[in-house]
Amino acid sequence: MAETSPNPFIFPSYLPFSSTFNRFSQWRAELGLPNPGTVENLQKEVKATHLTNYAFDGGRADLTKSMSMNPLFQVTHSFALGSQSMPPSYNFGAIYASERVFLQGGVDHEGNVSARCNQGWTANHVSKMQAQISQQPGHNLLQLEHDYQGSDFNLNLKAANPWPTDLTGIFVGSYLQSITKNLALGTECVYQRPTPTTSDLVATYLAKYTSSDKSWIATAQIQPAGILQATYWHKLSEKVEFAADLQLMASPIRRDALATLGAKYDLRLSTFRAQLDSTGKVSALLEQRFTPTFAFLMSGEIDHFKNSAKVGVGVMIESSALSNEELEAQMMAMQQQQQQQSFPAPS
Amino acid sequence: MPSEDTKERIAKVIEVGRTVFHYAWIPVIIYVGFTRSNPQPSLIKLISPLA
Repeated sequence: MAETSPNPFIFPSYLPFSSTFNRFSQWRAELGLPNPGTVENLQKEVKATHLTNYAFDGGRADLTKSMSMNPLFQVTHSFALGSQSMPPSYNFGAIYASERVFLQGGVDHEGNVSARCNQGWTANHVSKMQAQISQQPGHNLLQLEHDYQGSDFNLNLKAANPWPTDLTGIFVGSYLQSITKNLALGTECVYQRPTPTTSDLVATYLAKYTSSDKSWIATAQIQPAGILQATYWHKLSEKVEFAADLQLMASPIRRDALATLGAKYDLRLSTFRAQLDSTGKVSALLEQRFTPTFAFLMSGEIDHFKNSAKVGVGVMIESSALSNEELEAQMMAMQQQQQQQSFPAPS
Repeated sequence: MPSEDTKERIAKVIEVGRTVFHYAWIPVIIYVGFTRSNPQPSLIKLISPLA
């Protein structure tokens, strides 16, 4: 994500202010600031190290079948059973990804459809669509997003549930700019318009500091209403990562804080995550790969203050519809393509 | 601002579009994946994970 690509945007010389802008653009390109990444990915490393998004309970089985690697096409059947918090479910998912287009769809046993579509118009402009449609009338969500990666900044515009006639919905604009080679500052403004007459604007200020050798990243998100989220991620070695997360709410109505410390160990055939919470929860998640097609998941969480525990067990089976020769041919075609062109980031 | 009639029509179009999207999204992805994937797979591979 931190590539320096100093190609200044030059205006033609017959436009007014063009020479000033060209000089500014040249100075900016010479600074050689890296791209800070998107605002959504501000805490990506911390979210990948903590197991809050990966923990589950009950039994789970995921069967993935890939039909093709080069335009990636995969079909997944997921079964979940025995969870204390969720009813038994079956989910069918399909993913299609080529260089510029990414399509993902999933359907539930109840008929709820989730959809994602990313279209990369150029290497810097990506439009994304995300939708969740359910049988119950009030639970539908449509989110449209456009993301622009500049040489040293990122601009992202989102609209959630926009209604064309009266423009209600939630609109989010975010901007993140590299100030120095290590520091990036930005803002995210959320404009909520639930009815045509009421609207509300909330601004969040963001900061991200990456160390020079990219071994640690510290971020902070602050809202003037009194909400602070600060994270710290450190890559101790190739196999060990550590992350800490602090969320503080200091408004007059509510005072709350949550601190999470977690570590991730990436071993050759397994990934192990362990986490400790300030609410007294200790959790661990193990993902062990036995063969290239079979992986075993085990998730456990103990809440010491409530004296309760949740355990989850899962299997992930990935089979490929391609024979060995076809698989090798597609791997080679993919490597050749990677050498020739650059991919837009489809996520 | 559009008239009440136009607003109702737009709301109806959006509702029909939502229903079409609801039923057609997964089949569209499967169709695109089938026709464009490199060794074109056979239909049985979609249903049975063992094939």
